[in-house]
Amino acid sequence: MADTIRKVCVIGAGTMGAGIAAQVANAGVPVVLLDIVPKEGSNRNAIAEGAVAKMLKTEPAPFMSKSAARLVETGNIEDHLDKVAECDWVIEAVIERLDIKQGLYAKLEAVKRDGTAVSSNTSTIPLANLVEGRSDAFKRDFLITHFFNPPRYMRLLEIVTGRDTDAAVAAKVEQFADVAMGKTVVQANDTPGFIANRIGTYWIQLGINAAFDMGLTVELADAIVGKPMGVPKTGIFGLVDLVGIDLMPHLQASLTSTLPKDDPYHAIARTMPLIEKMIADGYTGRKGKGGFYRLNKEMGRRKEAIDLQTGEYREKISPRGPSGRAAKGDLQALVESKGDIGAYAWAVLGGTLAYAASLVPSAAADVVAIDDAMKLGYNWKAGPFEMIDTLGARYLTERLEAEGQPVPEILKLAGERTFYRIEDGKRQFLGLDGEYHDVVRPEGVLRLADVKLSSKPLLKNGSAALWDVGDGVACLEFTGKMNALDGEVMKLIVKAIPLVQSQYKALVVYTDADSFSAGANLGLALFALNIAAYSEIEKLVAGGQMAYKGLKYAPFPVVGAPAGLAVGGGCEILLHCDAIQAHAELYTGLVECGVGLVPGWGGNGEMLDRARNAKMMPRGPMPLVAKVFETVSTATVSKSAAQAKEMLFLRPDDGITMNRDRLLYDAKQKALSLVDDYTPPEAPEFRLPGPSGREALSMAAQGFRKQGKATEYDMVVSDALAAVLTGGDADPLDTVREQELLKLERETFMRLVREPRSVARVEHMMETGKPLRN
Amino acid sequence: MQSIVIAGYARSPFHLANKGALARVRPDDLTAQVIRGLIGKTGVDPADLEDLVVGCAFPEGEQGLNVARLIGLLADLPISVGGMTVNRFCGSSMSAIHYAMGQIALGAGEAFICAGVESMSRVPMMGFNPMPNPALAKKSAVYMSMGETAENVAAKYEISRSEQEALAVESQKRAAAAREAGKFTDEIVPIETKGGTVSEDGAIRPGTTAEDLAGLKPAFDANGTVTAGTSSPLTDGASAVLVTTEDYARKHDLPILARIKSVSISGCAPETMGLGPIISSQKAMERAGITAADLDVVELNEAFASQAIACIKDLGLDPVKTNIDGGAIAIGHPLGATGGRIVGKAAELLKREGGKYALASQCIGGGQGIATVLEAV
Repeated sequence: MADTIRKVCVIGAGTMGAGIAAQVANAGVPVVLLDIVPKEGSNRNAIAEGAVAKMLKTEPAPFMSKSAARLVETGNIEDHLDKVAECDWVIEAVIERLDIKQGLYAKLEAVKRDGTAVSSNTSTIPLANLVEGRSDAFKRDFLITHFFNPPRYMRLLEIVTGRDTDAAVAAKVEQFADVAMGKTVVQANDTPGFIANRIGTYWIQLGINAAFDMGLTVELADAIVGKPMGVPKTGIFGLVDLVGIDLMPHLQASLTSTLPKDDPYHAIARTMPLIEKMIADGYTGRKGKGGFYRLNKEMGRRKEAIDLQTGEYREKISPRGPSGRAAKGDLQALVESKGDIGAYAWAVLGGTLAYAASLVPSAAADVVAIDDAMKLGYNWKAGPFEMIDTLGARYLTERLEAEGQPVPEILKLAGERTFYRIEDGKRQFLGLDGEYHDVVRPEGVLRLADVKLSSKPLLKNGSAALWDVGDGVACLEFTGKMNALDGEVMKLIVKAIPLVQSQYKALVVYTDADSFSAGANLGLALFALNIAAYSEIEKLVAGGQMAYKGLKYAPFPVVGAPAGLAVGGGCEILLHCDAIQAHAELYTGLVECGVGLVPGWGGNGEMLDRARNAKMMPRGPMPLVAKVFETVSTATVSKSAAQAKEMLFLRPDDGITMNRDRLLYDAKQKALSLVDDYTPPEAPEFRLPGPSGREALSMAAQGFRKQGKATEYDMVVSDALAAVLTGGDADPLDTVREQELLKLERETFMRLVREPRSVARVEHMMETGKPLRN
Repeated sequence: MQSIVIAGYARSPFHLANKGALARVRPDDLTAQVIRGLIGKTGVDPADLEDLVVGCAFPEGEQGLNVARLIGLLADLPISVGGMTVNRFCGSSMSAIHYAMGQIALGAGEAFICAGVESMSRVPMMGFNPMPNPALAKKSAVYMSMGETAENVAAKYEISRSEQEALAVESQKRAAAAREAGKFTDEIVPIETKGGTVSEDGAIRPGTTAEDLAGLKPAFDANGTVTAGTSSPLTDGASAVLVTTEDYARKHDLPILARIKSVSISGCAPETMGLGPIISSQKAMERAGITAADLDVVELNEAFASQAIACIKDLGLDPVKTNIDGGAIAIGHPLGATGGRIVGKAAELLKREGGKYALASQCIGGGQGIATVLEAV
């Protein structure tokens, strides 16, 4: 048996199968994607080929780069099943029919190597049924891997192993799914719906039932269930619109036919005439004509919602949802709110939490698995047991008892206790033995949140902190809203440098947050602009330049470890790092032109330096400048780390981590690998084209203006950017030093902030989150 | 002056830049293959050649370092044959022919290969390092994009979008029919590439309708009339013409296509560079002692439909006799190669269609026109 997975085969090129194949390819691993031979047409691979072609046009994109798409080899199961022999893992993602799956496994058995894992992406069929009639050898290699849609973006993977599954085979798949595909693996038992969908479906059904029964509007229902419960703001009805209303009857039918007779789901499963009618009429949600919500294009894109009582659409309302503590995560305050709000919150939350609590240990071995599944599979901020801790296990128990509802065993076990606690700086959970056990992270997983439990920051102010993450590595963390950057961050960087130099070997720049940094704090900048405090702004710009260059030339390695959004100043700090270890989902770019400015914290020079060192760049003063100008003037943001590399934000040697939980650990390793014989980089010297180059860039920009793709003010901003990137008055024979470029950048920035149209852009961005095209 | 003739013409297939079948072929290799093809089909003894003159609009990168000399060596021309690269943008390879003619008139040689090449995939328009003079940019429209000049011509001559589209449809129709009938087979030298042999044009879009074109967005000016469908596409290709004295051609039994009767160059306003052929053609016809009515064949480069229409109108050309096998909107316009193609094509058509006089003319970025009048032999 090969101990690593070098090639994968996915059978079934539907949304899930194709998406899984894309994620394998995103990991840089070749993948064979097979489907049936279509009944019509001469191209026998048409279905799989069509799936790849469709994915190349889908947004959000299943592929992280075009080169990933080239790793997918397409075919059909009649002509190409023998390719399975080359693969170390076969993922079956065909239609949810037992006979078809079993038939396929029989064929697979004939062609696969022993030790090649076979897994089903089924969400409904028990593993025991799937392997009926197969050999012992096949059963040893078989497991269920249940991905969530879309596979690139949803982090949860539920793995179910059977009685006969070889632990080594399961471990190999788990390792690959975790490290290469970036999934967080949750072990589930072989029970219907596994964990996330079982609880999720129950929760949705409760929410729909209660809204109908209580006569609530969908807006109010979603306002109660959404943010106040730490659930995405789509709530329940918005979520059903998103996944497809027509999916609900299928899930219901599947669960009612497979769940044990005494499962509480049977008592709440019901058919709603309105929902049946909506499906029949094509109102299946966002993919259909509309759902519980819709945009009425005939009425000027009016936002509408359906009236659950009459079935008619009406203008969407802004309901008076939970307020005060009830709106801010105090679940007890929420369920005790007066009137409909408290009643609905209790009906949904109380029922869901009790149901989730009843599933340990039948569906999952412990509370951690349940919580992880709901957080990663449904994007809940807190899992059911974390919510019970917030609400109070005792409170929940008493209220269930008062209503004559059964109290799950694990709630009784908890009694007055919480399901989680912090002991000696370690997070622990309550086990079924009534004892607390450490929450053990897989090898190579390091979270700053865990570090914080056991230590105090080395430095801290209102916008940033410095932590000791072990092995002589310090970690700079941003802490402001959206991790915005301001003077406080710069001050902390300046303080951190001597501290790290004297007591540590290396520094990583990292945060646990979803967004690495949204860039400079525009709110502060706008305030300064409105009172014309230009000297304050210039201080901020100069301070940022100095702090970032301080990091760059510090006598220790600095590794940037971004995930999610890293734009503007958040991108610029990365550009000043010795190396970047990025999460695969990195959305980075220099977006200053969008708000009428140019990068002001050294981003221009760092990008020129990257372009200068990029392979395949034609010689001469213009190509590097043109490449950077193209990226920065259009404020383009990468859609993945792989794309950020193509755009030169990442260097060829920079690392990409697929699993978000492994990012800090990987960044730390990268930093340590640079420690021996570390020497800071030498300041670059540029040969820039000067006014002639600026003229050429302006001409290109004017072309876009003519084509209607750029505004009049875009011309002013892009010309300012062109002036910086071409070195101002530089002659191509001159050498432009880094400090000269910084000065030019700073002066240009200060010129633009005085422009009313730039201020208008900043204001608009603050108010709407979208660029103003003035 | 002794009689000078076109004694052979060949070209590569023309393919769309970046996505076409020649995108990954080096321009020097491409031209060398065309030259070998021309030598093979004419039977000229390479040892008799005085010089290889190669037109190229952006002679840098793989087209740099006096690419003509490099091409000569790649084509295994004898070491004694010279090599010179000529740049007059789109007029480069027609200028190469004019230069050869002048050298012959000087008594400095009797046989020349005049080639042209442009890989618009591998060397971008404007080159890798465009560095315009800011002072000149303020004072002149010489750096204006070609698309903008086409819009200016359309506006000045009040040429509607549908008129432009009608010309483009006709160009596509004629080119597709000519390809279908095998009328390009003789002129095309099959090119060996890593992806196999390429022996047919790739830019032509058969079945293009006015409705198709009407659906396109303006390509250069949001409020304009010029679209990708009424512009010549970015193209990869090479051409080569054998220019000799008539005496030499007869002595060596070369396949004479036509005699060069007269040539001319003219300048015009850069912002309406597409009108360049008007003055240059008039000058060349005057030098030949003929008028437009005497022309039996016209090859007028279709850089853009708008400028082609303006030239046809002002020169009083017969649309039926103009671009008989289609023009650059359909076939493609590899800048440096086009001049050689249209002179060679005009000569070949004069022989094929019969008649006395042919005109080949084209516009040139920056504001110039170039023209050649041919006479049947």
